[in-house]
Amino acid sequence: MRMKTALRAAGIATAGLVLAMTAGCSSGSGDGGDVALKYWLWDDAQLPAYQQCADDFAAANPGITVEISQYGWGEYWTNLATQVAAGSAPDVWVDQASYYPQFVADKQIEDLQPYLDADPDAVDFDAYVSGLEDIWVIDGARYGLPKDWDTIGLVIDKQAAADAGIDEASLADLTWNPDDGGTFEEVIAKLTVDKAGHHGDDPAFDKGNVAVYGFLPEWADGSQGQNLWGNLAQSNGFTYSDTNPFGTSFHYDSPKLAETIDWIAGLSDKGYAPAFDQQSTLSRHEVLLSGAGAMTSVGSFNQLMFQDRAADYLFAPLPTGPEGRKSAINGLSDAMYAGSKHKDEAWKWITYLASADCQDVVGATGVIFPAVTSASEASVAARADLGLDASAFTSYTTEPDSTFLIPINYHGTEMAQIVQDAIQSVALGTNDATTALPDANAKVNALFE
Amino acid sequence: MAPRRPRRGDGRVALFFIAPVLLGFAIFYLYPTVRGLWWSFTDYSLLAEPEFVGLDNYADVLADSEFWNSMGVTLQYVVINVGSQTLIALLLAALMHRLTRSVALRTTLLLPWLVPNVTVGLVWLWLLDTNLGFVNRMFDSMGLDKVGFFTDPNLVIPTISLINTWAFVGYTALLFYAGMLQVPQEMFEAAAIDGAGELRTFFRVTLPLLRPILALVLVVSLIGSFQIFDTVAVTTKGGPVNASRVIYYYIYQQAFTFFHMGYAATMAILLVLILGVLTFVQLRLLRASESQLT
Amino acid sequence: MTMTTMPSPVPVDADESTPPAPPASVRTARRRPPIGRIIGWAILAITLVATLFPFYWMVKSALTPAADVIADAGNLWPSHPTVVNFARVLGLLSAEETRAAGGSGASINFALYLWNSIVYCVLIGTFQTLFCAMGGYAFARLRFRGREVLFGILIAALMVPGIFTLLPNFVLVRDLGLLNTVWGMVAPSLLMTPFALFFLRQFFLNIPKDVEEAAMIDGAGKIRIFWRVVLPMAQGPLITIALITVVWAWKDYLWPLLIGRDEAVRTVTVALGVYLQQSPNTQPDWTGLMAASTLSVIPVALLLVFLGRRIVESLNFTGIK
Repeated sequence: MRMKTALRAAGIATAGLVLAMTAGCSSGSGDGGDVALKYWLWDDAQLPAYQQCADDFAAANPGITVEISQYGWGEYWTNLATQVAAGSAPDVWVDQASYYPQFVADKQIEDLQPYLDADPDAVDFDAYVSGLEDIWVIDGARYGLPKDWDTIGLVIDKQAAADAGIDEASLADLTWNPDDGGTFEEVIAKLTVDKAGHHGDDPAFDKGNVAVYGFLPEWADGSQGQNLWGNLAQSNGFTYSDTNPFGTSFHYDSPKLAETIDWIAGLSDKGYAPAFDQQSTLSRHEVLLSGAGAMTSVGSFNQLMFQDRAADYLFAPLPTGPEGRKSAINGLSDAMYAGSKHKDEAWKWITYLASADCQDVVGATGVIFPAVTSASEASVAARADLGLDASAFTSYTTEPDSTFLIPINYHGTEMAQIVQDAIQSVALGTNDATTALPDANAKVNALFE
Repeated sequence: MAPRRPRRGDGRVALFFIAPVLLGFAIFYLYPTVRGLWWSFTDYSLLAEPEFVGLDNYADVLADSEFWNSMGVTLQYVVINVGSQTLIALLLAALMHRLTRSVALRTTLLLPWLVPNVTVGLVWLWLLDTNLGFVNRMFDSMGLDKVGFFTDPNLVIPTISLINTWAFVGYTALLFYAGMLQVPQEMFEAAAIDGAGELRTFFRVTLPLLRPILALVLVVSLIGSFQIFDTVAVTTKGGPVNASRVIYYYIYQQAFTFFHMGYAATMAILLVLILGVLTFVQLRLLRASESQLT
Repeated sequence: MTMTTMPSPVPVDADESTPPAPPASVRTARRRPPIGRIIGWAILAITLVATLFPFYWMVKSALTPAADVIADAGNLWPSHPTVVNFARVLGLLSAEETRAAGGSGASINFALYLWNSIVYCVLIGTFQTLFCAMGGYAFARLRFRGREVLFGILIAALMVPGIFTLLPNFVLVRDLGLLNTVWGMVAPSLLMTPFALFFLRQFFLNIPKDVEEAAMIDGAGKIRIFWRVVLPMAQGPLITIALITVVWAWKDYLWPLLIGRDEAVRTVTVALGVYLQQSPNTQPDWTGLMAASTLSVIPVALLLVFLGRRIVESLNFTGIK
């Protein structure tokens, strides 16, 4: 009779579970009272600041709360797309220029223009860093309000530079070309040290036993190379596509790009950079902080990673290429889900996110450069208080033609996979840039036929 | 089974008994199968209605080099994983059978099988990390070069295969062990009286009598092996480039990253066909190897 | 196609599975070169170490403070052992404390995910076993028209890889509005899996009929016989299949990943995948991940400690015809 007791016990346990579950299942159904908006973002570093905004917003708007979910960049878009396909996407999400057109094509994000027309005072466009709001406009429809912006620079280990006898001031004016790498490659060579203490520019340098790599490239960089290759390729005269935004014919077969990729891959062959197939799960910045690397590129959105050791690192603008100095400038926005059941509340939240009230809070943490100019300045000041000089990232805004907008187009997810695979195959040495890239380009252009 | 003379049918009672099973089958097996077949002839993005395109998907898949790459990668995985797993499991089962009957040992060997593949993948990703992994630290201290287990395209599939061998070899060994217990004790005694050593006894007695179980386990592990997903999803996401993009992962990507549902359904159908042929061939072999134990 | 020629997995009771030791005379007659035995024991020892070391390393890393992760990477013992990683993955610390301990600011609540996994496993294990026992009994014992054909069709589903039904089932669950609900997650395996049905039918085919017949003569109906007579007799296989089902459900990843992305219903395996991607400073938070991994192992390890013998014995196959 043990069985009977066991079965009965299992039955009771199950019944209890079912009850417990059904009890805990009623959430999110608008029962007239409180509205819980769902909001998604990918950067965990920005989470505390936006949580603060959400709390302030909820306090100012009784009856509306905001639930923030954070998913890492690696799975953010797949996750979001799945939820969109499922009809259960968050009411508002952080959007990126190269990914949002897909949602427009699928009619999954809300045009905010009618809301603006009905409520013209909701947003003060004069407060923004100029140009940011235009990224989100397609044919008179507006799919987002400016949230922040970012550029790319270099971060260098000061001690490594001193040991290599490099003058810190010279690092702000490096030159680069794909043939001999310019002064940029000279500095990289000097910063590289083998286990015997020979620097990379020393004939005795042993590239098989490197202790400190002069440069740490980023190879997982989608179809834009925002963190490294895109910037260098642009400064070498490469353009992504026929028109931007909404190009439909791409130039990944350009020799200007191939020679850029070859140059970066060549750093590993010379022993100045770690081999692609020797990568760790450690991020480039962590490798730098551990002392195994001396220089890498860094986005303005990652500068705060160095706050604990601000005195040990130097930030510089990217090197000047044959076509001048070029940094990707990218902006983010907040998008409203077309299937949201709480659009009026979502609009309130979006305008709050786009307002100086929230952006000043975010700016004060220094974690990113908000789109509102005053908040951006506050962010630079906050970084200065932490001992981090942000001028390398802001310098581009005063130099003419030194920024380029990352491509905005359809099929962003597929392109990212195709182009990144091609570039990584070059980094691995399994393919030549001159074959891999034209092949990838053919695949990319086929998406638009 | 000899059918007994029915006194009367149990139709109505039977319906009560099989209703849940039938319902489950109809809703979650039969209906999706029909639907998946239909999708394979359509262009379907999940966001709009499926659009009939005839055999386009089939033509596109067969012309897709990534599809064939995925098939090749999967095959490489299956061969390494099933091969190593079966051999090691046989050895372990024989040792457990002849050396020790300890339940504690068998229980311990089963532990990796009980652990989710996601956890297994994570733990090994950590153990084998190029800079921080224990294994590469050992190599380093021995003066050997570091090995990019998950980042070298030539090593990534062998690495993942052997990780899953680690996870499933104990389970497989226990299945073989159970089979060995079925071999009548007299046969071992007879072999011992004939003066056969352990090795000879294994090859002359144990292995031939184990063939049916061996074949069954092979069928099951092959089919399971083709469906590798979790470990890849956690460790490499199909990389570097496409060196570990196994077929399940590629189907998943096409369906839930690029939203080519029709395309993904087509690949799934082709996979079903391939597995069906494999299973059929193996069952034939299985039948051929039966009737050893009489 | 009929599957009657397939060998059928039928568990035997523990006492039967260990054959009697050979008589002493045979044992002394057997020539066992000691060198072979030494090698054999050495192989078993190596296997044991290889089996257990990754688990040791997982726990060791879980007890390492995040700040020491690089310094301690080669050490067999954490320099400053701490349970803070467990505290933060169980959601016991505030966001600030978590970040200070090396985590990201994201909310991580493995206590909730463990609970979700347990709910998922118990629901599937209980209902699937019950319904498949009913079905298996009907296909083994009850007579109705089309029984064999129907059973053949149901079992043919064994041949269909999961990915094939996964895509349409995802859409079905979406259309039913059950995404991110427990019911949506358990639905496909709640009513049946071909394996459980096949397994239990085999068992019912092999139990003697006389007990049922005796009850039938007493005038008991089929349903009553099933509940009162057959199920108690089938205790062993029922627990076996329930255990196997629970283990499989515990390991499930792809389906819960698609259906249960919401934190409220997220299972442990999905949470581990999310956590790996939720990388503070764009890299995995290894110490937290290993603490979370340890949590995902503890329940099955406990299962093994308390039910190990049963699980091991359940893998014994008999009835090779």
